[in-house]
Amino acid sequence: METTEPFCVMDCSLIRCATGRAVFNLRELLEAVRTVSDAVLEHHMLRCALENHFELYEFPNDLARWCWTALGDNVLGEQLGVVDPYQQPSTSALRAALANVVEDRLWGLERPPWCRPGLELHLIESRLIAYDTGERIGTPAALLEAVERMSLRSVYFHVHEARRRTAGHTDDFSLWLETSGMEASLVTALREIDFYFLNLSQLRQALSEAFRHYVEGAPAVARSTP
Amino acid sequence: MRLLDRYEEIVGHQEVERLRRLAERLAGKRIVHVNSTRSGGGVAEILGWMVPLMEELGINARWEVITAPSDFYRVTKAFHNGLQGLPVSLRKSDFDLHYEVNRENAQRLNLEADIVFVHDPQPIYLPQFTPAGQVGRWIWRCHIDASRPNRTVWKYLEKAVAHYSGAIFSMAAFARPLACPMFVIPPSIDPLSDKNCSIPEAERLETLASLGIDPERPLLLQVSRFDRFKDPLGVIEAYRLLKPYYPAVQLALAGGSADDDPEGAEVLHDVLEQAGNDADLKVLMLPPDSHRTINALQRSATVVLQKSLKEGFGLTVTEALWKGKPVIGGACGGITLQVHDYHTGFLVYSPAGAAYRIRYLLRYVDKRQRMGQVGREFVREHFLLTRNLRDYLAMLLCLDHPDSETLVV
Repeated sequence: METTEPFCVMDCSLIRCATGRAVFNLRELLEAVRTVSDAVLEHHMLRCALENHFELYEFPNDLARWCWTALGDNVLGEQLGVVDPYQQPSTSALRAALANVVEDRLWGLERPPWCRPGLELHLIESRLIAYDTGERIGTPAALLEAVERMSLRSVYFHVHEARRRTAGHTDDFSLWLETSGMEASLVTALREIDFYFLNLSQLRQALSEAFRHYVEGAPAVARSTP
Repeated sequence: MRLLDRYEEIVGHQEVERLRRLAERLAGKRIVHVNSTRSGGGVAEILGWMVPLMEELGINARWEVITAPSDFYRVTKAFHNGLQGLPVSLRKSDFDLHYEVNRENAQRLNLEADIVFVHDPQPIYLPQFTPAGQVGRWIWRCHIDASRPNRTVWKYLEKAVAHYSGAIFSMAAFARPLACPMFVIPPSIDPLSDKNCSIPEAERLETLASLGIDPERPLLLQVSRFDRFKDPLGVIEAYRLLKPYYPAVQLALAGGSADDDPEGAEVLHDVLEQAGNDADLKVLMLPPDSHRTINALQRSATVVLQKSLKEGFGLTVTEALWKGKPVIGGACGGITLQVHDYHTGFLVYSPAGAAYRIRYLLRYVDKRQRMGQVGREFVREHFLLTRNLRDYLAMLLCLDHPDSETLVV
């Protein structure tokens, strides 16, 4: 395999900004979904993946989790859990999808559920700081080895954040392999990973398995490092 | 050995590298921190490590302290209470005094800098009296829960905040809507400080012996001042519910002396009355500088409690987690950010809940140890001072680049 540019391993962290606004009940959640800035929606639907410290969350976004745990509305929790922001063409489309789900639920309720004090959802937005780790990867085999020990923040940057950068089309790993002329099967396997459903630790595992499956079945020349 | 090298041994090369990369972008910036005291209190503790670390990273950082008559601190203590929503009684002359002290200090202090961090309400009016062009940006760092402040106090302080380019709160829940960006930067602990550094086993055992605690028996510990919001009586109730099942268990309630706090003295009296003559229940009144004693107690605890009914961030929880102890905490304030059921401990809502969770942790040694390990790593990732410093530096970059949604460094 010939590579023009080595893969550049990045790392990232968030800086969070409070809005001073909190949501106490379902009606306020609907109002918030309709009116908060794109950055707030994106934090609670996308970047919150970086805050899943213990892989304990059942749902991939803050809104679903809050409805499930704080409001005790399991139905709405489930419905919001399946809203995949990466399948939406834009943030306004995501906003409309979320508002539709919440409004539909609210429509059928006599009284909107409230959370107990202390469990309100504090709306925040975030900005991403990306760091060049200085690590450069030259081959798929080396990338496999790197992915296995990669920080979860790096996994987030190269998969979740990459999807944002490429308007939902691809992750950095498969893009680099494709650009380097690698076999399409690995590229396809990486792109088929249901990354939004997985937490970052599971995602790293899924990436490793896809790489391993390819590297172990590939000719020796593909496994060698330069 | 340089300071950063010592922290690198604890937080890893990558974290220190992140700091270096951020600092490179801020090289040469002149940063001034202003607060009201050089020693004593959490803010002075933070600045004690932050300023040297910023300097080591190539940032031109300084620390200025305002001077004021003692009456000023009575007023700012009232501001502090007022920000936390307590009723306060302030006269116009009190506000005038605060305003005037800020004017005098603006003339006296050397505030020429690119960024000035003003910590808490004491020096909050400095921007009002500083000549235009002397300071690039003013940032207000509010270390207090200001989510439900006293209206009069807030109205006075809010006017001052209008001069700032940004504010920092410890939690999103502590912030109030302001015109400037409000960054959320949680506090942190210093793993090399007396309160958190590793200590020799002999010292730990000596400390326990001096306090009459048996190192061979399970120890429950709550470290906090004697305050109703910390619910020490609830902790005793939980201990009493547990005792029939685990007769060997000991409880230590460690707090400061309540000499200058009438309400604290009352709570302490109730605690001592409840404790009675139970030899396994120690009520420890420790001097404010008992950091190594607290350290030894936390390291000796089987389970640490912070059964608060109302809490700020709860750095005693952070300290306990860092020492590998599961924490049973009241579901309030910053405790909810740190204690996660079955991962770092348990959130509880009643003394019965606390007793039940302690039984669980005493019964399942392996799970207790696992939670302790997870808690330590959780703190390493999120609540050590290097992360705190990283957030400060990242925030400054964000202010320099307000339109970039992602910054690459």
